[in-house]
Amino acid sequence: MTMLTAVADLLGLSSNTLLVAVAMAAVGMAAGVVGCFSVLRRRALIGDAAAHATLPGVALAFVITGSRGLPVLLIGAVVSAVASMGLLVLLRRFTRTRDDAATAIVIGVSFGMGVALISGLVARGVPGSGGLERFLLGSTASLSAADARLLVIVSLLSTGLVAAFVKEATVVSFDPGFAAAAGWPVWWIDFALVAMTAVMVVAGLPAAGAVLVTALVVIPPVAARQWTDRVGVMLVLAGAFGLVSAVAGVAASAVVPGLATGPMVVLAAAALFAVSLVCAPSRGLLAMALRPRMPLAPPERGGP
Amino acid sequence: MSTPPLLELHDVTVAYHGRPVLWHVDLAVESPCLYGIIGPNGAGKSTLVKAALGIVPLADGWVKFFGEPLDRVRGRVGYVPQRESVDWDFPVRAIDVVLMGTYHRLGWMRRVGRAERELAAACLDRVGMADFATRQIGRLSGGQQQRVFLARALAQQAEIYFLDEPLAGVDAQSQQQIFRVLSELRDEGKLVLIVHHDLRTAASWFDRVALVDMRLVAAGPTEEVLSRENLARTYSGHLEVLDELGRAVEAGRRTP
Repeated sequence: MTMLTAVADLLGLSSNTLLVAVAMAAVGMAAGVVGCFSVLRRRALIGDAAAHATLPGVALAFVITGSRGLPVLLIGAVVSAVASMGLLVLLRRFTRTRDDAATAIVIGVSFGMGVALISGLVARGVPGSGGLERFLLGSTASLSAADARLLVIVSLLSTGLVAAFVKEATVVSFDPGFAAAAGWPVWWIDFALVAMTAVMVVAGLPAAGAVLVTALVVIPPVAARQWTDRVGVMLVLAGAFGLVSAVAGVAASAVVPGLATGPMVVLAAAALFAVSLVCAPSRGLLAMALRPRMPLAPPERGGP
Repeated sequence: MSTPPLLELHDVTVAYHGRPVLWHVDLAVESPCLYGIIGPNGAGKSTLVKAALGIVPLADGWVKFFGEPLDRVRGRVGYVPQRESVDWDFPVRAIDVVLMGTYHRLGWMRRVGRAERELAAACLDRVGMADFATRQIGRLSGGQQQRVFLARALAQQAEIYFLDEPLAGVDAQSQQQIFRVLSELRDEGKLVLIVHHDLRTAASWFDRVALVDMRLVAAGPTEEVLSRENLARTYSGHLEVLDELGRAVEAGRRTP
């Protein structure tokens, strides 16, 4: 940690602040990388359902253990996020509820439960319950060095997993039928991708809060997609965009007292997204406006 | 002991949400050929292929390749799904799609290397798409996309190929090129099964055909199977088109 201390001194920050910033950078990067496949597989809203569903888990973990420790609360968050995914699967499997409606229901119900639980605890003046509200909009102020280390480890593991299985995730996301015929366990790879999205949503929870953390998983990948037609490049760019957004958000909320971290992270990501939307070389609005209108291929019956 | 059939389906039945869509299909293909799977819309042609490849679960029956269950011979079976089944805005280039054909042989976590790249390039070249290797797939025409799919199947280096409507919505040049490659495969001793909906071309293209309408109506040499009577049984729900089909088949026979 001596190097960290030295860098912190150089920047005029406490080493704890710096460690938290590093953790958020790692979380932002990993969320961007993991989010790529959730966006490519058209599952952006599933991450949102998982994010909102973390709240009741956080509150219940607090009630059951009486602990405010981040690891305990985040384990609660993972459990309830996974439970919400299960609920989503059950709704689709055994009822005639459509996908979008089922997702909206899970988002609303789980978020309502979470807010009811937390506000109830706060209203009764349960000691320590005030700290739970930070999971709504995100705040890095109360993160300890140990918390930060945990988040770094989770983020690096997730990024490493995606890097190791890019090939498998790509073939399953692009063409599940072909992948199944070639013998890849499509269901399990899909499940792993959704589970990793849930884990990254939970890892981003302290910084961005339940309402906004999906933005970390969705916006950097969509922005990255603008710049490239290759999955590998998209993953790297999404990681970089996520990292930059997270650091910018943390910095902004550190400089302006009282500013929640979550909204700042999202606004930073949105700025990158806007630039990508306009300026990207071939898919950008500018490039499309400047390009002469020409058919790409002779028109055909039944073309895409 | 005689050699087992290349492909054998026994009593294959498939149901979606409890409703059977394919009943008791028995089919055996003994030798390499161009094999057409033909029937009206919604007859379960694609389902039959997906069932054979284990993509949809069987409610009943079994499928064997070279006398063995599919899981033991996956590397010897190639597949070209319907073009509509994928997201064409996906960030992959033509060459990346073809490389997916080599993934099975590579196995878990191993990366694509020089040998795979060379194979993929050769497969793209074989379907006449070498010049488009680095084009994002959405920016290809329908026929070109279909040829890229075919190249990916070639990269699987299989012995049995399934193609789901490879000629639907495809320009004449692509159609010719695809058909040429498929004929070559047959001549190299591969079995090529093709889901096809156009009876006019079926009569001249396929060595053998299976007529499917939720069950197997008839199967065998094209000349014998594409009779007026069989067609009437297959397309019975589609009476108004029967006469037209009959004329089309006759015309197809005269101009092979």
